[in-house]
Amino acid sequence: MPSHAGTPLVEASGLNRVYHRPRTSLTRPGAAVHALRDVSLTIRRGERFGIVGESGSGKSTLLRLLCALDRPTSGSIRFDGQEISGRPEKRLRFLRENLQIVFQDPMSSLDPRMRVRDLVAEPLVALGLPAGDRVKELLADVGLPPEAADRYPHQFSGGQRQRIAIARALAPRPQVLVADEPVSALDVSVRGQILNLLADLVDDLGLTLVFVSHDLSVVRHVCETVAVMNAGEIVETGPVDDVWEAPAHPYTQELLRAVPTLEGLW
Amino acid sequence: MRGRANAGLVAGGALVGLVVLTAVASFFWTPHDPTLVDAARKLREPGGGYLLGADKFGRDTFSQLMVGARTTLYVGVVAVGIAAALGVPLGVIAGMTPRGWLSELIMRVNDLVFAFPALLLAVMLGAVYGAGTLTAMIAIGVATVPAFARVARAATLQVMVTDYVLAARAAGRRRPAIAVRHVLPNIGSMLIVQASVSFAIAILAEAALSFLGFGTRPPTPSWGRMLQESQELLFSTPRLALWPGLAIALAVLGFNLLGDGLRDHLDPKLRRVEER
Amino acid sequence: MSTLKVEGLSVRAGALELVREVSFAIAPGERVGLIGESGSGKSLTALSLMGLLPEDVTASGTARLGGRDLVGVPESRVKDLRGREVSMVFQEPMTALNPLMRVGAQVAEVMTLHGTPRHDARERAVALLDRVRLPEPAQVARAYPHQLSGGQRQRVMLAIALANGPGLLICDEPTTALDVTVQKQMLELIDEVAPALLFITHDLAVVASVCERVLVMYGGRVVESGPIREVFTRPRHRYTEGLLAASRLTPRGTRLPTIQGSVPPAGRFPGGCVFRNRCPHATPTCEAAPALTGEGHAFACWHPAG
Repeated sequence: MPSHAGTPLVEASGLNRVYHRPRTSLTRPGAAVHALRDVSLTIRRGERFGIVGESGSGKSTLLRLLCALDRPTSGSIRFDGQEISGRPEKRLRFLRENLQIVFQDPMSSLDPRMRVRDLVAEPLVALGLPAGDRVKELLADVGLPPEAADRYPHQFSGGQRQRIAIARALAPRPQVLVADEPVSALDVSVRGQILNLLADLVDDLGLTLVFVSHDLSVVRHVCETVAVMNAGEIVETGPVDDVWEAPAHPYTQELLRAVPTLEGLW
Repeated sequence: MRGRANAGLVAGGALVGLVVLTAVASFFWTPHDPTLVDAARKLREPGGGYLLGADKFGRDTFSQLMVGARTTLYVGVVAVGIAAALGVPLGVIAGMTPRGWLSELIMRVNDLVFAFPALLLAVMLGAVYGAGTLTAMIAIGVATVPAFARVARAATLQVMVTDYVLAARAAGRRRPAIAVRHVLPNIGSMLIVQASVSFAIAILAEAALSFLGFGTRPPTPSWGRMLQESQELLFSTPRLALWPGLAIALAVLGFNLLGDGLRDHLDPKLRRVEER
Repeated sequence: MSTLKVEGLSVRAGALELVREVSFAIAPGERVGLIGESGSGKSLTALSLMGLLPEDVTASGTARLGGRDLVGVPESRVKDLRGREVSMVFQEPMTALNPLMRVGAQVAEVMTLHGTPRHDARERAVALLDRVRLPEPAQVARAYPHQLSGGQRQRVMLAIALANGPGLLICDEPTTALDVTVQKQMLELIDEVAPALLFITHDLAVVASVCERVLVMYGGRVVESGPIREVFTRPRHRYTEGLLAASRLTPRGTRLPTIQGSVPPAGRFPGGCVFRNRCPHATPTCEAAPALTGEGHAFACWHPAG
């Protein structure tokens, strides 16, 4: 399905997020930090959408807002036509069923005191969906043996843990998978396995993928559309190949120049 | 480093185990009736079936020590139980809503109780409701609530910023489920440590209250009361103060060592060093 | 200026052999990369040269720098060498600095420890901060670590490492915690100031931009070594080959080449060739350990590529 044929699934407009540092003086309030400034974007059904930025660019804040894990100071986010910003958790069920996340570090995103079975089933339990044989099925989908269900996260390697995290995210059969730097904490020799797995799953299940990374070259491999963020703003957005070949914004140009590459050697 | 932590754990466990065993054994057997007053045995020297001698009423010191261990554990368990049952939920609630008014209220009331001397509270309660083991335990327990609430809150704050709590929220978990499934299991090790330290403090507090006459009532034997009764004979018959004093010191040492040992044993950060 | 010569360096933790028979040399002015994934033993190799191994981990073999032994000497003597002969920059610039001390004082401290008079040390600290390209070095010297950015803190770490004019600089993933735009400047700076460099990283592209020679470690052994251009364009060991293929991101819609399985935990690598349980070319021959052979471009593989 070509991306432009998809209808808008996630629409953010005019998003702002201001944090207040804890006050250090009795008379003055804590300093305000603008984590996001007037960010708007549209992610279409079936699209693979990349968000690229360095630390402090606001990409993590944007991600949290898109997943309704934080509230914008102003602006709106619509998922499949429904406004999600500012809703209480109990009215977000449709979002939780349809949008799931894979976090960067599978070491810290899996509760060390829970068995894999319970970790993978957690979204189902939380949403009151039947588990049945779903855990076994999900583990098979991500290439893990059924025995994995009885073990704890620390008994697995980094790549295997990320597979567990992916299985868990897929449990409620979401439409959208959000991946927050899913391969940054992994060894290079394992990175390819996880990226291939993600690509397969997105294809097979017809998912919409939101892929956040600091590495434009990884985004180029995975996504067709990219938004480049810097200092809380989207500075450039468009088809990833266009941005890669002919970056328009000075920041994107600087970012591309700075990425160390092996290309020169080949 | 690791060896030392284990040594503390083993030594602490052994001392605590000794106190527990003694207390359990006292239900089935003591050399003599610990409360039997017998003028003929008054201040009897150790020996001949009276391992540690007898006190000024002729009661067997060893038997009293054994039953005293029971009182000590009883007080500790109930006081720590009260403190944990109240303090942990309060601390977890405060930790899960760090910016809410409820959290503020809990922690300020907590500070108030914390600032109030535990012994004074016990003496006051004793004066109003009558001195006794139960009053002492409740007073010690209530005074220990802030310690638990603070530890639980600090630990909860740490857990709440982890990725796995964020992941649970993204999975659709509500707060109560997160508290039960993620927060409690992960702060458990710190609470166990706090419990063992509070246990030691409760033992000391009970001894102090009994010494002041606001704790365990006669004739129930208690290490603190044994100390109090030996006071006037401190110079003539020092052994009467020595044995209960030693028992208190060893029990407190045991619980403290156990707490430190558990802290090192359960701390995943220290464990990671070993794995590397 | 002196040459580092490491021969038969092994690192053990109890019965586990974490680094085995590592040998290499670094000449003055040379930039050598040490590549490896988690569990490869690359960081332990560096720590053993610094005499900074954890308590229950021991190193054997020899490592000599300018005629002085670095391995197997008592702590009291290593302390003199550390910072003066060899110094090291670590990955995490926040935890490596004392949060309660001004950075100028921290740079000066390492010089006074090695006998520089206090007053001279203060002045030279500012000069060093200038040398690592920190703007307004006198002002930076008065700042506390939390007032600096990650990149600035890592520059301070570099200044501390250079304070006593060491003959060898070891950098262990010095830019992994930094943003790419900051990383580039840092790499250029390291290349500019290092007297001789051992650069440890998991990132092949980073190594390619700094070093001229490379050692590839896997499972505690050096499996391939040689001039970087040669190793990266014509890898011989099957692990290096797979790692290079996996590092190259192919166009969208194509599958990435991968190495099967995952890196075993430290000490759980197979005997013989350490890579044989993940290698598509492994045969029973590989149950015997291959030696690292070859002049210039060396590799330890029974069924080499190319």
